[in-house]
Amino acid sequence: MSRFKLIDASRILVLAVAVVAVALPLLWVALATFKTPADLNQPGIIGFTPTMANWTEVLSSDIFAAVGRSVLVATVTVAIAVVVGSMGAYSIARFSTGGSLSRFGILAAQVLPPAVLVFPFLSVAYILRLNGTLVPIIFSHLSFVVPVVTWFLIGFFAAVPKEIEEQARVDGFGRFDTFRLVVLPQVLPGIGAAAIFGFTLSWNDMFYGLILSPSNSTILPVAIAGFNTFRGVELGPMAVAILIAIIPVVIASFFVQKRLVQGISGGAVKG
Amino acid sequence: MARVTFDNVVKKYGDTTVVKGLDLELPDGAFTVLVGPSGCGKTTTLRMIAGLEPVTSGSIRIGDKDVTKLEPKDRDIAMVFQNYALYPHLTVRENLAFPLRAIRVKRAEALARAEAVAATMGLSELLDRKPKDLSGGQQQRVAIGRAIIREPSVFLFDEPLSNLDAKLRVEMRTELLQLQRRLGITSLFVTHDQEEAMTLSDFIVVMRDGEIAQQGKPKDVYDKPNNTFVASFVGSPKMNLLEGTFSTGKFVSESGLTLAVSGVPAGKKILGVRPDDIVLEVGGKSASRGRIGVIELLGPRAIVQVEASGQSLTAVVEASRMDGIVEGAEVGVSVRAGSHHLFDSVTGLRI
Repeated sequence: MSRFKLIDASRILVLAVAVVAVALPLLWVALATFKTPADLNQPGIIGFTPTMANWTEVLSSDIFAAVGRSVLVATVTVAIAVVVGSMGAYSIARFSTGGSLSRFGILAAQVLPPAVLVFPFLSVAYILRLNGTLVPIIFSHLSFVVPVVTWFLIGFFAAVPKEIEEQARVDGFGRFDTFRLVVLPQVLPGIGAAAIFGFTLSWNDMFYGLILSPSNSTILPVAIAGFNTFRGVELGPMAVAILIAIIPVVIASFFVQKRLVQGISGGAVKG
Repeated sequence: MARVTFDNVVKKYGDTTVVKGLDLELPDGAFTVLVGPSGCGKTTTLRMIAGLEPVTSGSIRIGDKDVTKLEPKDRDIAMVFQNYALYPHLTVRENLAFPLRAIRVKRAEALARAEAVAATMGLSELLDRKPKDLSGGQQQRVAIGRAIIREPSVFLFDEPLSNLDAKLRVEMRTELLQLQRRLGITSLFVTHDQEEAMTLSDFIVVMRDGEIAQQGKPKDVYDKPNNTFVASFVGSPKMNLLEGTFSTGKFVSESGLTLAVSGVPAGKKILGVRPDDIVLEVGGKSASRGRIGVIELLGPRAIVQVEASGQSLTAVVEASRMDGIVEGAEVGVSVRAGSHHLFDSVTGLRI
């Protein structure tokens, strides 16, 4: 066996371990949706009699209302984040707004534990009489989606050649029209990826949702946690809900994976 | 159409002064070429007219309008960049029509005008292509077409030919000149290539270190360079400049080469001789002897290096006179009568 074959073989081995580590839990969740509580309590046993009981239970519950609310929250969050973030990223990429610090400093807020912010959100929402609505959740999600989207887009804006902007200005356009008509179209793929990335961040958040959600109309991750009842964890229905939550994210990441790498490395490397 | 006037324009980046008090007037409707070595401030000067670089002090007028503080969009100019700067997301047709969008021309009319411009630029076949599917020369044509569509009062060209291959560059040069003649729009063309500058310009401005070294008609600049910098920069191959001393009827260079030059007052000076004014004669009667070094044959003429008394000279010899001019041959060296240029040995200024 030549040296290269050995390297190839070890490469495949490493990848196989990684795939198993990532895919096995997902597979387990998928199988769990078809198991009875009795089967679920015996995880060591491979064979089981499939049941649709979990699916019927969850699909007839109000889970889709929670899905709808999560979609609404994530969509509004992303819409605002993309508008604000693209302008912020352009400004940082082109004019070094805020100096070299802002490029990375913009992510500094991510270091804060969400617990620090959640109480202010709650009390402000209460004072504005917005508690019991989805508005505080949207604002709390903006606190981490906007910086990430902005940071993500910096590399894309930095890659737009300066000359075409100058050309547009000479061709008779003001700064904002230049941004809108010439710069934005160059970064559309990046904006698409950033939007999907931001959407999954919002979609996956449970902490803010748990505390800021209206008690009777919650968002999806909180609804999933709701299967942890005083009677114990209802693993079967929970697995169904988890699967419903995961599928859109998996599909989305499949479409943006290439841009995702470009955005993350572009934002990080270009100093 | 308009004159462009610079009034004591200064441009500083931090502590570095790039343009040092420029006073310049670009004649109305003429093709002016701004030429100089890299870093001489020529591109900065062009960009200041465009409004892409703010002016540190002084003022710029286009026609009678002071544009010093205006945004580029309010200056009524068009510019062609070195890398063409086509909008990658638009087709050729949309690229051409784009400047019309800024002045709110209706879409149908704008596209019709784009097609008309495309026809004059020979781009009709390519209207629906994206810039990435065009060759360098085609991209260049689109960039020029986009510049002329709005019929601005001033055209600015920032080394637009330097990314093209040599053959295409010469073709585009002619085309550009014909176009400018037809439209009669005041044009400023920046280049570091003195040959391009000489062939294109009605008016040439030679810059050096942020200052104008000389300006005028190309022939005047070539015939009477103001100083040793312009003398060696303009003209190819460049002028021979020899430091030495004049006495009655002759010149002796510092390395000891003696040349017959009459009618020059005695003293220490710099002698300038264009390569085509150096006469080489096989076995000639001239007292100054030289040995032929490298010969670069250009076809109708050749560039010949001559070593004479420790002095290296460049000569241009017509093909018909090349008999006996071979590497290593000994020749008589002389200066064509009345063709010499004189410069002060301290200041380098023309005497």
